[in-house]
Amino acid sequence: MKLFELVYVIEDDFITSKITELYLQQHGAFKRVQKYKNGQPALDALHRASDQPAKLPDLILLDLNMPVMDGWEFLDALSAEHWPKPVPVCVLTSSINPDDIKRATSYTAVQGYFIKPMDAHLVDEMVQLLE
Amino acid sequence: MSYLEQELRALQASDETVFDFIQESTLAGLWYWNLTGDQEKWATAKFWRSLDYEPDAQFNQAAAWKAAISPEEETATAEYIATSIADHTYSFDQVVQATCHDGSTMWLHCWGLVLRNNLGQPHRLLGVLVDITRQRNEEISAQEVAGHYGAILGNQSVYIIRTDARGNYTYVNDFFYERFGLDSKIIGTSSLMSIIEEDRAKCLVTVGLCFEEPNVPHQVILRKPYHDNAVKSNHWEFKGIVGSNGEVVEIQCVGYDVTLLVDNLERSKQLLALTNQQNARLQNFAYIISHNIRSHSANLTALVKFLQNATDEAQATMFLEMLKTSTDKLAETIINLNEIVTVNNMGLQPKEMRGLRQEVSRTLEAMNVLIHESQLTVTLNIPEEVTVQVVPAYLDSILLNLLSNAIKYRSASASPQLTLDSYREGDYTVLSVADNGRGIDMARNHNKIFGMYKTFHDNEDARGLGLFIVKNQIEAMNGKIEVASEVGVGTTFKVYFSEIV
Repeated sequence: MKLFELVYVIEDDFITSKITELYLQQHGAFKRVQKYKNGQPALDALHRASDQPAKLPDLILLDLNMPVMDGWEFLDALSAEHWPKPVPVCVLTSSINPDDIKRATSYTAVQGYFIKPMDAHLVDEMVQLLE
Repeated sequence: MSYLEQELRALQASDETVFDFIQESTLAGLWYWNLTGDQEKWATAKFWRSLDYEPDAQFNQAAAWKAAISPEEETATAEYIATSIADHTYSFDQVVQATCHDGSTMWLHCWGLVLRNNLGQPHRLLGVLVDITRQRNEEISAQEVAGHYGAILGNQSVYIIRTDARGNYTYVNDFFYERFGLDSKIIGTSSLMSIIEEDRAKCLVTVGLCFEEPNVPHQVILRKPYHDNAVKSNHWEFKGIVGSNGEVVEIQCVGYDVTLLVDNLERSKQLLALTNQQNARLQNFAYIISHNIRSHSANLTALVKFLQNATDEAQATMFLEMLKTSTDKLAETIINLNEIVTVNNMGLQPKEMRGLRQEVSRTLEAMNVLIHESQLTVTLNIPEEVTVQVVPAYLDSILLNLLSNAIKYRSASASPQLTLDSYREGDYTVLSVADNGRGIDMARNHNKIFGMYKTFHDNEDARGLGLFIVKNQIEAMNGKIEVASEVGVGTTFKVYFSEIV
């Protein structure tokens, strides 16, 4: 089984973020979870880690609707830069809008689009997808 | 005199059948009158037969004459005779209406010749009569038909026009004249130029089709100014008419007013566009609702599961706390949605006239404490007399939202300023609300400012609803809202109140 040393959870809702963290921690594949309130602090963290590929996350779970820097802006910023190793992104959102699904999956960084609620089954699916 | 004519004259004198033959075969009869005597009148047997009398029967010729020729006709004949004598022509021709024995009418063309005696004095009249009843009746019938069609062409509520091959009017029916306030002066002028400029190319294309494919109708809708300057849409059928030279010599055009139809079509299109827009909004709204409810319900489901599997008391208490927060948020979301549904439902509330300065002052007064606490300096430049047509509750909400935003996002460094102006722009009265606050990054957010659940600052109590509701409210009043902003410089909202009643 592939191991994820570090996962970023970018989510503005505190409770959702906590729940996501708990589910990830219950799964054996994930080691460290780093939570960010929106795209901006997450992007700042990526920049700080960009000198050492080992410090970059193995996966980013990204919400779409957030204040300050939303999921779209984060994806734009991520795609615009070159990173020492590929950073896979899974969108985790409540939006079932087909336009959002189409738009999100058009980014090369986006590996999967998952609709909440988050649960153990969804985490399994995600791991299988990224295997 | 020709040889034949000489012989015929001699024959006529010696053989009476020759005269009879000519009279019987070519004439309706002869008159021969004595002009000097007491109006002694003689008519041939052929004349009486023509008038349906039996010449051999004993009938009163004087009475029959009176019955056949009206006094007016007699007077007219006398006048013709007198004129022909006076101008020395001694001949005339006249159309006489005669009444036959059976009461039917007969039309006679009468050629008269005044004969003179040895002294040159007029003393006889020879009248030669030809039956023209048939021609006359045909003429009358043709006139009736022409009159009839003329009336149809004139009184139709359709336009009937003919132009020559170059498009100049050659015929226009009365209805067309009346409707467009024109008269026969337009005959010979260009029909193309009477159409509004934008439609001329379309007209020329149709005329081109008439030349390419003559004798079949080609249809087009053209706009033309009415006499009161209103522009009317007319549906036309153009047909190229081929002349004897095999080329199109005329365009026949039949048209009728379709302004109402075109207007209704346009209105339907607008309605359809509006419906599509509303549908899109509704669908978007459904996605938003689904998203917002789902976010919370997803949390609730997860938290209940965690609570069931909690291993110790402390964990259980934490999940219960989170569960409570989630249910509160769900309740708040539902209240917010109610608020939005209400705005969208109240689309057509009655508008009232309000003094803009008075309304702004009232809102400022209501926010007095907040303004004071934030040390906001307000400059009110709205003239006393400016009024706006508004749904009062919407105006309250708009002002409250914009003014409270100006306070909430005031500058941390500079002393906060707020300037309210108003001016007229086209059909709108504009209220401008300008602050020197934190500003919004327009390059990043111009599409999101008036969206639902969009917040731009890391502000915990921002709901992301205020400007969404403001936009809905101003649009419900047929107005619009615009924003200009720069980070660290300030934000200016322009609210356009529609003044079209």
